[in-house]
Amino acid sequence: MNHVISRRRMLGALGSALGWIASQPVAHAAKAAVQNLLASSHAPKGYDPTKHKWLMCIDVDRCIGCGLCVDACKAENHVPEASSFFRTWIERYIIKTPEPGGNEVRGEVLVDSPNGGRNGFPPSTVPREEILKSFFVPKLCNLCEHSPCAQACPVGATFDSPDGAVLVDSNYCIGCGFCIQACPYGCRFLNPETKTAEKCSLCYHRITRGLRPACVEVCPTQARIFGDLKNPVENDPVQEFVRKNKVFTLKPHLGTEPRVLYANIDKEVR
Amino acid sequence: MSSLKMPPQVSRLVLLTLGIVGSYLVARKLLVPKTFGEYGWYRGAALEENAAHKLVFAGMKSCDECHSDVLQKLGKYEHKTISCESCHGPSRAHADDPDVKTPKGMFADSDCLRCHQSSPSRPLWIKQVDPLDHYRGDKCTGCHVPHQPKETP
Amino acid sequence: MDPALTPVLQAAGEAHHLATSIEGYVYPNEQNLLWSVLIVVYPYITGLVAGAFIMASLVRVFNVKALTPVYRLALLTALAFLVCAPLPLLFHLGHPERSYQVMITPHTSSPMAMFGFVYAWYMMAVLLLELWCEYRHDLVVWSERERGLKGALYRVITLGVRDISPAALHLDERLSKIITVIGIPSAFLLHGYVGFIFGSIKANPWWGNVLMPVIFIFSAMASGMALCVVLYKELCWFRRKAVDDACLDEMGKFLFYALLVDFTVEGLDWLHRLYAAEESISVLKQLAEGRLFNTLLVIQLCLGTLLPLLALGATQILPGRIPVWFRQRIYYNSAFLILVGVLAMRWNVVIGGQLFSKSLRGFATFKMGLAGQEGWLLSVGLIFLPFVVLGVLVWLFLPEPPSGPEAKETVAAPVAN
Repeated sequence: MNHVISRRRMLGALGSALGWIASQPVAHAAKAAVQNLLASSHAPKGYDPTKHKWLMCIDVDRCIGCGLCVDACKAENHVPEASSFFRTWIERYIIKTPEPGGNEVRGEVLVDSPNGGRNGFPPSTVPREEILKSFFVPKLCNLCEHSPCAQACPVGATFDSPDGAVLVDSNYCIGCGFCIQACPYGCRFLNPETKTAEKCSLCYHRITRGLRPACVEVCPTQARIFGDLKNPVENDPVQEFVRKNKVFTLKPHLGTEPRVLYANIDKEVR
Repeated sequence: MSSLKMPPQVSRLVLLTLGIVGSYLVARKLLVPKTFGEYGWYRGAALEENAAHKLVFAGMKSCDECHSDVLQKLGKYEHKTISCESCHGPSRAHADDPDVKTPKGMFADSDCLRCHQSSPSRPLWIKQVDPLDHYRGDKCTGCHVPHQPKETP
Repeated sequence: MDPALTPVLQAAGEAHHLATSIEGYVYPNEQNLLWSVLIVVYPYITGLVAGAFIMASLVRVFNVKALTPVYRLALLTALAFLVCAPLPLLFHLGHPERSYQVMITPHTSSPMAMFGFVYAWYMMAVLLLELWCEYRHDLVVWSERERGLKGALYRVITLGVRDISPAALHLDERLSKIITVIGIPSAFLLHGYVGFIFGSIKANPWWGNVLMPVIFIFSAMASGMALCVVLYKELCWFRRKAVDDACLDEMGKFLFYALLVDFTVEGLDWLHRLYAAEESISVLKQLAEGRLFNTLLVIQLCLGTLLPLLALGATQILPGRIPVWFRQRIYYNSAFLILVGVLAMRWNVVIGGQLFSKSLRGFATFKMGLAGQEGWLLSVGLIFLPFVVLGVLVWLFLPEPPSGPEAKETVAAPVAN
């Protein structure tokens, strides 16, 4: 076998290979730029995702813990019936009065969410006199600005959509569960039937058709406020909410920048 | 043409490396989905797929098309913040074909108490009753009309 | 019964079952653990790879001549375990048939995506290359001597390069040294990234901290070295050859220091947590004292770390006072304890991290069945599979030295030096 291979030829082969490799990112970016211009070709019925910025906010003072939202979500999105899979759920917080003579300002905090609050809440065993404060908190995907879930996904199967939702591509998801571990808010789960990650999609199939998410639709007290930050119409509900309220977000210290704003929430909510 | 004798191990390994890298790049060209990268690091088609699910709830606008009189009355009283499907259930099927009934047309006390049962966790702006105290034994609909709660039937 | 009630009753029954295993409040989606024993086995296996490779690199890069008898065995061990490493992952995925996506559309912000490339790099550019350079001379010799399938295999692996002149062998050695130098940070990267997979999860206070990759690396080193001790002794026993006492003493020494550093770093983690006493400390202390008491405090700490430290420490501080046979007992038994302890550490990290809620208010329970994707049988099988692979590799690449005057030669010494 002839071991003599000219150095020039070898370098030439290497050079062209490297050149081709180097040109790939540029070619790819050019392709993406062109395709961006044709964005609407994949949108449903002329819907342009770059023209909207959906948001849901919560007014905790208005939630009565009826659980209609949890039930509606399960129906609308065919969420598995079992009590350990929820795209949205309600938590009840019961803050007891402090022990007499003690140092505490407030007493023990009890949190529960029986079946996610889907059938409402049975009366608490804590007697009324011992309750200092109690309220309900709806939970859902926090629509983070810096989504740790999208950052963690190894294949690009979960992502921030251009119009404000955080979606899962269930035809591409490999079911590794990394996004579920990365979410600080516990809003994701692995669907036991599809074996892919699943979460609140803001009822993407509804909002792209001008409808409201199912949970917002059935909420009897307007505790869930949904709207479009890019809505040119003045009285968009979420724009009004943002103007009117002082708000809190969940786990701000983690730097996820949740866009879901909570008004009238208590410090005990995690 | 000058030639330099490259040790056989090195030349074999370089060829092998180029072969492996080359086949990886070819595989990548063939296997990456077409719409990948359109908007970001994901398949652009996923947006459309997420938007393509079938509707289960109709939304109040649909109800308004045929039942605008009920909605007008509803809009005047305390239950104006409640949408039809909160009580009547997901009604897309009914909106598409009126012969199909809405999931819920008959209501028991438990349906009213779902929201109105007295609870220390509920905010005080909503009217709450303890069913053991408030006209025990009578049905809610005996005194209240769901669409206009302060009216008597 | 109204069939519509079935899912409701099912949900209620399931809710009751879960309620009995939930303590306090957990987010509804956290009631079932997501990552289970397969994800415990995977970092364990890659850790053994990294540790075995470091043991081998002590010979090549740091010129610890006493460890030469175990050099080839360590490399083959690393290979056997590396080959089996992706299996727990593939079994765990919801869609293993889509796993190739990690290689073709890797999301560069995800440490899990980088796994595919780190693994491929380490397998091809480090381990296989190092083995090829080390074995090239022998492969050429064996390929000429052996007939049939075995001979064909050797011929294929030589890649058609049959030059075994002194110049070529010298080049082999130089290449090998370069590869090992690159290989040391690569081994750290291979297992450090596994630690980073957990360390990067800021959502979980048990996982998401700076020391996690470091802890994983050093516990991996301890476990890999322990594995080499156990395998070397077993192979010698199997082949009825005497162990090289100096080699075992040297292995014992490095094992002690690896374990010492591992203990220090883990101790530092706990010290910092307890001192800083951040919000999560309450639930984490309850976790350590409650659900993780046996696996963390008893198995990992006492049996897997303190006891071997004391025993190995004694052999380092008083080597003269302890007879050789007893020292070797200590090395072997300590190695076993360390292997169990590091497995327990992986359990405590992976399972432990999911046993408490991110609401910091409650605990779930982990239940394991026998069969199925996340059952005992599969995981135990996957831990033992690399040993089977290693057996094949030893049969192919670690032949017994010929009998005769060289019979006293140690079992795993390289032929070319």
